[in-house]
Amino acid sequence: MEEKQVIEDFLTNRTDQAFCALFEAICVRVRRYFLLRGLDSATADDMTQNVFVKVFRDAGDLRETDRFYGWLFAVARNEMISYWRRESGLGKVQLEPLVHQHSETLATEPGVLEDIRIKELLKALDPAERDLVLLRFVEGLSYEELAVALKLPVGTIKWRIFNARKKLSRIAAASPADRAREHIN
Amino acid sequence: MKHGISELDWNDYVDRCAPQQVCDRIEAHLIGCLDCWEFYEQMSRANRALVDAAEEARQKTIPEDRQLHLMLSGVFSRIRTAEAGVPLHSQVKGRLSRLETVLAPFCGPKAAVNALHAAARSSPASSLERVTLDNWGPFLEELTAIAAAMCGETFAGLVRESGQF
Repeated sequence: MEEKQVIEDFLTNRTDQAFCALFEAICVRVRRYFLLRGLDSATADDMTQNVFVKVFRDAGDLRETDRFYGWLFAVARNEMISYWRRESGLGKVQLEPLVHQHSETLATEPGVLEDIRIKELLKALDPAERDLVLLRFVEGLSYEELAVALKLPVGTIKWRIFNARKKLSRIAAASPADRAREHIN
Repeated sequence: MKHGISELDWNDYVDRCAPQQVCDRIEAHLIGCLDCWEFYEQMSRANRALVDAAEEARQKTIPEDRQLHLMLSGVFSRIRTAEAGVPLHSQVKGRLSRLETVLAPFCGPKAAVNALHAAARSSPASSLERVTLDNWGPFLEELTAIAAAMCGETFAGLVRESGQF
């Protein structure tokens, strides 16, 4: 069954079985978002479970299937912000992992994400752009879904993506895939 | 905006979702403007780098089936607990507190706290703050082993009993 059908099935029927199918289909994406935003695998697993508890509990409020991914990642993003707020011990929202705790390990799953290229690219971006780039390029969200997830107008989303590409164009030439392409051509 | 082409136009063009009219305008301009041609090449290169890096990230972050199963069990466990109206952390906190009460008279309050921390560190939770209902079993096993080493098997049995939900 395709992801869209699985989502529709869950939103329509709300059964445990439909929820299990939904979890199997998309939990990878939520967990990956947390991992790529700098959390270790134990924390990413824990927070993924929190997100799906909220999906189980609150998805009934969601009427349009098309808004599901935007809503899902808005929940995930809020969960992450709450985590950083708790970790920092500050009473205010943090948009980025604490400098001394996480910045050197944007992706920290031992032995798996060490040499990952996206980690290098994200380092060149501002915190607000990192979420956008991950959700757009890794998770494939549309601009409309991004607008729901980040609660921003579509125009602002596009403008930020444009700026992110512009920044990355300075370091993109060093990509191994590009070097391979140049070699082939 | 440079040469009449806005940032949003460029963004849509690189994404291949610009209206035909915008595509025609940009392409007509690119033929005669080396600056803009180079800019477009750079943006396309950045886009390709992102697409390739995203594909690599997707490949390298696939969890094992066992891990998915554990997480799904954890989700249902949290849902059931929430439905029962008892906050998860208070259940775990209460049980940790009970274990500390059991351990303290035998080995002292400081050693009791140290034993809890050591058991958490050796278990999948990796720290006491991360002990949850999902990873409680392995944590309790570690604590039982520590209790056995400190005060013998009978005491370890008492710890195991006290720690079971």
